[in-house]
Amino acid sequence: MSTLALKGPSWVAVRQHRRVLRAVAGAVTAGLVAVVVLRLWANSPDATGRYVTGPNHGYDLLRLCVQYAGAGLRFLPPLVGAFVAGPMLAREMESGTWRLALTQSTTPRAWLGSKVLVAASVTVLGSAALVGVYRLGWARVSGTYWLYWHDQGPYEASGPVLVASCLLGVAVGALVGQLIRRTLAAMAVTGLVTGLVLLALGSVRWSFLAVETASMPLSGSTAQLLPPSAYLTDAGVLTTTGERLPEYTCFAWDPEVGACKAVTNVTARYADFHPLSHYWPTQLLESGILLALTAALLCAAFRLLRARRG
Amino acid sequence: MTETVIEAEGLGLRHGRRGAWALRDVSLRLPEGRVCALVGPNGAGKSSLLTLAAGLARPTEGVIRAASRETLAYVAQDKPLYPQLTVGETLRMGHELNPGRWNAETARRIVEGGALDPDARVRSLSGGQRTRLALALALGKRPGLLLLDEPMADLDPLARHQLMGVLMADAAENGTSVVMSSHILTELEGACDHLLLLDGGRLRVFGPVEEVVAAHRLLTGPAAASGGLAAHTVVETRITGRQLIALVRPRGPVDTRTWQTAEPSLEELLLAHLRSPGAPVFAPVASHTAQGVRA
Repeated sequence: MSTLALKGPSWVAVRQHRRVLRAVAGAVTAGLVAVVVLRLWANSPDATGRYVTGPNHGYDLLRLCVQYAGAGLRFLPPLVGAFVAGPMLAREMESGTWRLALTQSTTPRAWLGSKVLVAASVTVLGSAALVGVYRLGWARVSGTYWLYWHDQGPYEASGPVLVASCLLGVAVGALVGQLIRRTLAAMAVTGLVTGLVLLALGSVRWSFLAVETASMPLSGSTAQLLPPSAYLTDAGVLTTTGERLPEYTCFAWDPEVGACKAVTNVTARYADFHPLSHYWPTQLLESGILLALTAALLCAAFRLLRARRG
Repeated sequence: MTETVIEAEGLGLRHGRRGAWALRDVSLRLPEGRVCALVGPNGAGKSSLLTLAAGLARPTEGVIRAASRETLAYVAQDKPLYPQLTVGETLRMGHELNPGRWNAETARRIVEGGALDPDARVRSLSGGQRTRLALALALGKRPGLLLLDEPMADLDPLARHQLMGVLMADAAENGTSVVMSSHILTELEGACDHLLLLDGGRLRVFGPVEEVVAAHRLLTGPAAASGGLAAHTVVETRITGRQLIALVRPRGPVDTRTWQTAEPSLEELLLAHLRSPGAPVFAPVASHTAQGVRA
C-alpha cells in the first residue's frame, strides 16, 4: 500500500489503519489463490493420472467454498460499517484523539471527509475485487443447487450489490460512529443497522421488476413452463374465470385431469418467474437504492459534524 | 494597541441539559503575547475553559472568541496521540495536517531533547515522553495561542524544568500567547505574567500577576481592631490567638499604626481566595482594553 502520493488527513487515515489495509489486500489475494487452485483441481486429473470420473473432490470443495463464501460475503457490509464506526470514528472519541485531530489546521470536514474517502475507496476496490474472485469460483459451479443466480449468497456476492452494500456500511458507520462514542457499542449498532437495512431490501428485491407469467393447459407440468435458469416465484392453477388457485388443488384428481376440471373449473397452469435477464436490472436497481441511501446518510453525517463542530 | 487572543463574555458550559455547570459567567480578555497561569482546584473548570477556547466545545451560554483553529495549538490533559503511529510518523502528521505552518526544526529539537527514538511507537512511550511529543506537535505548528492543560503533570522535576525552559524560550522568541493550567501553582510561578484563578466554575481572580499582587495586602494586627478592616475589601481573615491576619484589597491608606502590612506571596493570595468562596472577584478588566480578537 503506497502512501507516497497521499497528502494531508488522508495520509493520516491510511497510516492509522494500514494494518487493516494490508489485511484486506491479503484476504483478496488469498481468496484469489484459493479459487484458482480449486478450479484447477476441479478440472485436473487426480493423482493416479486418470481424469476423475466419479466423485471429484476438487469440484466438491470448490462448491462448498463458493457456498460458504457467498454466505460469508453477506456479512461484509455490516463488518465494513462496524470498522468505520468503531476503530475509525468512535475510538477517536473514546480515546480523546479527536481533540488532537480537530485542533490542527485542517477542518473537521476534512477530518471526517478523509476517513470516509479512504474507507470508501478501499471498500470499492476491495469489494469489487472480491466480487471478481467470487465470480471466478462461482462460474464453475453456478446453476447448481443453492448456487443459482437468484439464490441468497450468489446474488449478493456476484455483482455491484455487494459494492453498494459495503458503501452503505461506510455511511452508516460514519453517522453512528459520531452518535455513539463507545467503540464497541458503535460497532454493534452499525452492524445491526446495516444488516437490518440489507435484510429489508433483500426481502423486497424481487418486487422491483414485474414477474413474467406463463400459462399452459393443465396436462403439462410447471417445469415445462419455465425458461432455463428462471427464478420461480409463484405457481398454481387457473380457473376459467382467471382465478388463481394453489397448485395442489388438482392433486386429488391427478392424473384424471378432466375430473378436476369439472369440479373446480380449473383449466390451466400458470407460473410467475423472473427470467435470467432480470439479474442485471435487479442488481443495478438495488445498487441504485443502496447508493441513494448511502448518499443520504453521508449527508446526515456531515451535517451532524457541522452542527457540532462548525 | 494590544490585540486580544481570548475574549469571553458571560461564558457558561454545562454538561447535558440537567448537568452541573462546569463553568459559569466567565468574562475575560487576555491580551496577546502573555503567558497566563490558569489555576484552581480539581474540578474548578480549568479544562472546560481550555476546551472552549480551543473550539472543541460550544458554550451553553455566553460567547468566547479565541484564535482560529489554524493559529492555536492545544494539548489536552491526557496528551492524546495515535498509539499505532511512531514518533517520526506523528511528526509527519503534524506536517500533513498543518500545511504551510509546520516547522519541522522546532518539533525535531524538542523530540531530540528527550532522546526519543523516531521509530518508537507512541504506545510504547512513557508518560513524560508522550508529553514531550505532544508539546513538539503543538509547538511545531507555530501557534499564536498555545493552550496547555496540565502539561507538566507526568514529568519528573528535571524534565519539567527543562521542558518548561524550552516552552518559555520558544514562546518568548515567537511572541506566542500561552494559557497553561495546573492545580500546582509552584509549577507555573515565575513563568507566568498573567493569573487566572477559577473555583467552582467561576472566575475568582484574573489579571497581570504584578497587578494582582500589588492590589492585595496581608495585614497583621490585634484581633480587636477587626472593625477597622471595613474600609477595605476583605478577602479572608484568620484569627490566631489575639492576632488577626487578613488579606485585603486596600481601598485607601492602611492604618500602619494598627496593622503590619506585607506583600502576600502568590500562593498565600490564591489559598486565601480558595478558602473564602464568598470573597469578591478580582478582575480589573479595564486594564486590558482591546480591539477585537486576533484571528
